[in-house]
Amino acid sequence: MRSHKAIAVVVAPLLGILSLAACTGSGTPDDVEVVSIDQDWSKAEPLTIDVFDVPANYQGIQSGWFGKIVKDKFNMELNIIAPNVAGGGDTLYNTRVAAGELGDLVIVGKGKQADELVEGGLLLDASPYYESMKNASEYDTAVQKLNEGKDGIYGFPTSASTLKPTEPGQNIDPTFGPFLRWDYYAEAGYPEIGTLEDLLPVLKEMQDAHPKADNGKPTYAISLFKDWDGNMMVMAKQPTTLYGYDEIGFVLAKADGSDYQSIIDSDSEYVRTLKFYNEANQMGLVDPESTTQNYDTMFAKYQSGQVLLSWWPWLGQSAYNTEQNMAEGKGFQIVPMEDQKIFTYGAEAYGGGLVYGIGSKAEDPARIAAFIDWLYTPEGVSVTSSDTMGAAGPEDLTWEDGPDGPVLTDFGRKAILEGDADVPADWGGGKYKDGGSALNVSAVLPAEVDPNTGHPYNYKSWPSYLETTANPLTEDWSEHMDGATTTMEYLEENDQLIVAPGSGFAAPTDPAEIEATRNQVKASIVEHSWKMAFAKDDAEFDALLAQMQETVNGLGYEQVLEVDMTNAKAQNDARVAVADELG
Amino acid sequence: MFFIVLPFLLLVFVFSYLPLLGWVTAFYDYKPALGLGGSEFVGWMWFEILVSSETQLKQIGQVMANTLAMSFLGIATSLLPVFFAMLLNEVRAKWFRNAVQTLTTLPNFISWVLVYMIAFSLFSTSGLVNTTLHDWGLITVPMKFLDTDQHVWLTMLAWSLWKGLGWGAIMYLAAIAGIDQSLYESARIDGANRFQLMRYITFPMLMPTYVVLLVLSIANILNNGMEQYYVFQNAFNREHIQVLDLYVYNVGLTGNSLSLATVLSMLKSLVSLALLLAANAIAKRARGSSII
Repeated sequence: MRSHKAIAVVVAPLLGILSLAACTGSGTPDDVEVVSIDQDWSKAEPLTIDVFDVPANYQGIQSGWFGKIVKDKFNMELNIIAPNVAGGGDTLYNTRVAAGELGDLVIVGKGKQADELVEGGLLLDASPYYESMKNASEYDTAVQKLNEGKDGIYGFPTSASTLKPTEPGQNIDPTFGPFLRWDYYAEAGYPEIGTLEDLLPVLKEMQDAHPKADNGKPTYAISLFKDWDGNMMVMAKQPTTLYGYDEIGFVLAKADGSDYQSIIDSDSEYVRTLKFYNEANQMGLVDPESTTQNYDTMFAKYQSGQVLLSWWPWLGQSAYNTEQNMAEGKGFQIVPMEDQKIFTYGAEAYGGGLVYGIGSKAEDPARIAAFIDWLYTPEGVSVTSSDTMGAAGPEDLTWEDGPDGPVLTDFGRKAILEGDADVPADWGGGKYKDGGSALNVSAVLPAEVDPNTGHPYNYKSWPSYLETTANPLTEDWSEHMDGATTTMEYLEENDQLIVAPGSGFAAPTDPAEIEATRNQVKASIVEHSWKMAFAKDDAEFDALLAQMQETVNGLGYEQVLEVDMTNAKAQNDARVAVADELG
Repeated sequence: MFFIVLPFLLLVFVFSYLPLLGWVTAFYDYKPALGLGGSEFVGWMWFEILVSSETQLKQIGQVMANTLAMSFLGIATSLLPVFFAMLLNEVRAKWFRNAVQTLTTLPNFISWVLVYMIAFSLFSTSGLVNTTLHDWGLITVPMKFLDTDQHVWLTMLAWSLWKGLGWGAIMYLAAIAGIDQSLYESARIDGANRFQLMRYITFPMLMPTYVVLLVLSIANILNNGMEQYYVFQNAFNREHIQVLDLYVYNVGLTGNSLSLATVLSMLKSLVSLALLLAANAIAKRARGSSII
């Protein structure tokens, strides 16, 4: 199951918060007829609902243990429709909305996309049910903020949180960071890394020392993929986050609002990264399959140890840091890059970039409302977030609550830490990983505290986990990282973290002309970026850069940039505002 | 009599003229979720966008160049199936001829997606060819066959020939079977050898079929499809692989600008119309009667 953070990386910058403009009243008009969702749905008629799920990476009927839980509780099956799997950009979305029915349960980007659906009458006003949605109303601030300016309740927040927006939304690992194969880094003698480009000689040394992985295939320091490319080449944006930047349109905005860069500028962090990849490629450090492989192929390479650098902990660590590998001292860990100031998403006080909605033609909207409400219960949160996101899964199967807080069961350790395990038949059977929630989004942030156990949902924060997982890898790492026990602890202590307050900002819809220009420009930027990364020498790199600048400027880049700059500044205003209000 | 034609007229109307109503989206900022009624009317804006900048025109120019180049390469090689059929016909061993014909016809029934998979497993950086060359010590870094901007038109031509050659020859094999055997007999009596038979009888007798097919393919000059180019496209070859149909798809569905894509596809109709009128004018001058 692909990480939810993966989605945050891609979706969050694209969507933005609700436009801040409108603010007439909130939510529920008084004359709404209240419909209760409180009933025993397990006795209801069997039902299969279509779930249009933007972040999903699986298409088809939800099976396995999660499917069984939903079936037992709601006598309902989830037919997941995943645009990611279908491919072809917005084709699936467009054809479905043109037909007037997107799905019974809809999980889409907030802001532009959700607004359009409300306007087009494709989402149902859930106000009648909201009254009895006890669990969702725990996050009423976020619900109201999300539906601000609308004449009803159309959307429910994801990744809702009661943490302060100025606190990092993650408590163990940041979303981004320079993660290297620590064992090889140690072999190289823990070389100092001053800045991004210093990684190259280190990686070169590591790759030369280990040209082949355990499976006999060649090792490469860097492996790239293109599946998530949007406004720019996704893999080239990641290193810019090490210096506190995140994308909004074609702008790289620093978390504290101190700098805004146009990505195509020759001195932008984005071009710097392309240069970095290009140099790496000239040194033979880049996997030649990068241009054609997809995420899954790349992930498999991480699992077998064929890649040495990961910009995301939820890629390198979740693929390779199995209990067995770590016991042998092998695994990905963050390295101390002196000038890094890693961008971190603050807890989203108003919910993440995606929303749940009920389709206007849904067959049994009350049951779907009940299902959405259940997603906010401790049980719902535990079972819907995938293991790479840190929630532990169903209680009594993968974990149980003990006197010293929750503990992973033997089964849980096997399924989560050691790779996978066979689920007992009375839990639905099959492989544990295959049976996880295909929704790939969580209603509540896993860093939130589970009221039943008094500990966060994220098992990595449990005392029992921290105690039992000390291993040669983490011990060695800790020894060389000033005794820190977690990545976040190290970064916080060294002031290498920069938090962008979770304001829930979503950029407003582009005017038609801007949108058309943007789409052409981004295609050109992505195309040129890949060519630049694989240019055969510096001269070709510079020529391609100049060509890209000329082409996109000719297409009208300036006008789009102006819009993005305005949005970037509005985003910063929203961050400042939320920090003042709730921070 | 009119009533007998009526169903066909109706079909033509429904499938050829009714869809033209869709052109109206070119004047809106069409958003599927809002429907045409809810979308904003923008007049000629999209048309203006297309002609407003030099880069934009250059891009369309490149797309047209790709489209025409690949079509003309296709037409230029359209004699190959003729020769293939003629040579195949000369093979005496029936089992061998049948085997060759089956094997060369088969690729036509493989979808482009599968063709790409074959191409990928052979020519990707870790494909058979690269691995073999590497194992033999001929190369140290994998050669890029698929993700390169070099010779895109030619490689695309090669793939479509591989896929279509056997199939294209079927029509000619049928035509050869229909050639009057007495022509061959009298030529043999006159002392013609096999090559002369091919040169002076089979080839000229195939020309009428060839010309008909040629005219049909010229009519489809802008319709060189998109499947092949869609599956083979990537960031490295897009500049030279993007044909008109693929460009419309990329703009409309991948880029989500449906109205702009409508304008582009209108362009296609206009160019087709111009080609048709030109062909008609030439035919008029050459034959004295128009073809439409």
